[in-house]
Amino acid sequence: MTLTLKINRQARDVEAQPFDTLLHVLREKLSLTGAKRGCNQGVCGACTVLVDGRPVRSCLSIASNCVDREITTIEGLSADGAPSALQQSFLDHGAVQCGFCTPGMIVSAHALLAGNPKPSTDEVRAGLAGNLCRCSGYRKIVDAVRGAARRGAARRGAAGK
Amino acid sequence: MTEGRYLEPATVDDAVAILAGDQDARCLAGGATLVAMMNARLVEPGTLVSLRRIEELKGIAIGADGAARIGSATLHADVASDDRLSGGHAVVRLAAGRIASPPVRNMGTIGGSVSHSDPAADYPAALVAVNAAIEVAATGGRRSVAADDFFTDWYTTALNEGEMVTAVTLPAALAGAVGHYDKLVKVEGDMCIASVALVLAIEGGACSYLRLAVGGCGPGPVRSPEAEARLIGTALDDAALGEAGAMLADGLDPPDDVRASAEYRRLVVPRMVARALSAAKSQLENGE
Repeated sequence: MTLTLKINRQARDVEAQPFDTLLHVLREKLSLTGAKRGCNQGVCGACTVLVDGRPVRSCLSIASNCVDREITTIEGLSADGAPSALQQSFLDHGAVQCGFCTPGMIVSAHALLAGNPKPSTDEVRAGLAGNLCRCSGYRKIVDAVRGAARRGAARRGAAGK
Repeated sequence: MTEGRYLEPATVDDAVAILAGDQDARCLAGGATLVAMMNARLVEPGTLVSLRRIEELKGIAIGADGAARIGSATLHADVASDDRLSGGHAVVRLAAGRIASPPVRNMGTIGGSVSHSDPAADYPAALVAVNAAIEVAATGGRRSVAADDFFTDWYTTALNEGEMVTAVTLPAALAGAVGHYDKLVKVEGDMCIASVALVLAIEGGACSYLRLAVGGCGPGPVRSPEAEARLIGTALDDAALGEAGAMLADGLDPPDDVRASAEYRRLVVPRMVARALSAAKSQLENGE
């Protein structure tokens, strides 16, 4: 069957089986390999993408069930190959070790900052809950998200003057 | 798990007609549990009946008397953030906010959770504590099952073949009551070692109303009418709490599993209950 999925602001036609997961379609049919297959049980967070702006597990999402919804993957957060402010902050803070959890972390952090532009450290931790970093590099990840929030606040302040 | 039929009925009537004619059909809401089980090859449905086009199943309505109707396809995140679920109903809102992690709360639904009836899940004990009812539909019509009677065994409910959950209803709010939910976890987001859900009211310094349920310590939420009776009319003093806690612990059927031993669960539940009652009481006294 052919599904038309709205992915990263583009309509994409894809040949899929009725019960294929969104993660399978993204990775195996569309070569969008940012989202990772870790546990395949919704626990590790490596497959996290945005559906209608909210972070969800693509490994637990049936692709057919996502038709007509806005899907955003890590690939959709950068424009013309340039990293977003949040992605740049991960680079600047050295918040990447092996990198396997990074797409899920950044997608979750993107949704967090969209709803709460100035999160406290505890709010960042709660917002990123359900994303496991097996390198245990959590501290720099939290620092990177708070750094991006501070830069966003500074930019908004400057724009307001 | 690639073969199969995927359907999107627009009404409950259409959905239950599909379920009636196909024993291998399963309802798909967010997929948070069902698709995890499909990925693990624990279930292999022949047909997935997506509920996402059925408007009736979505959202929370509060009646004039304060009774609440939560559509079965309402996301955990939307229950957790709805401040209208206040007073005794807050126990349901607080439980929703403790389920797994934010992305799972953006997928999972209250109907899916109660249908799965995982004894370590957050909703079952909260729904028993608030005296909720589960509204279910089949081709023959609809019926309502008290939460007390719904969670019948490990991963087993009062749902019959061909039935689906359409809503969870909470009775009219009890004046002056407060709801409280807490769970013991090794790490936030994990299934609980044990959970405590309660609705409490106090008049003149004495407990005037209490419904209390323990999760994670039996095939379904555990209630103890004896323990509740021991506490009602008291100031929730240490002597009453100690005796009621022992009564409750006697009624548990806790598992020995990777998270904790059965013995540990029997020891910790009375302490969790005392702490939860103390927190609820101080919330009532401070008028928060």
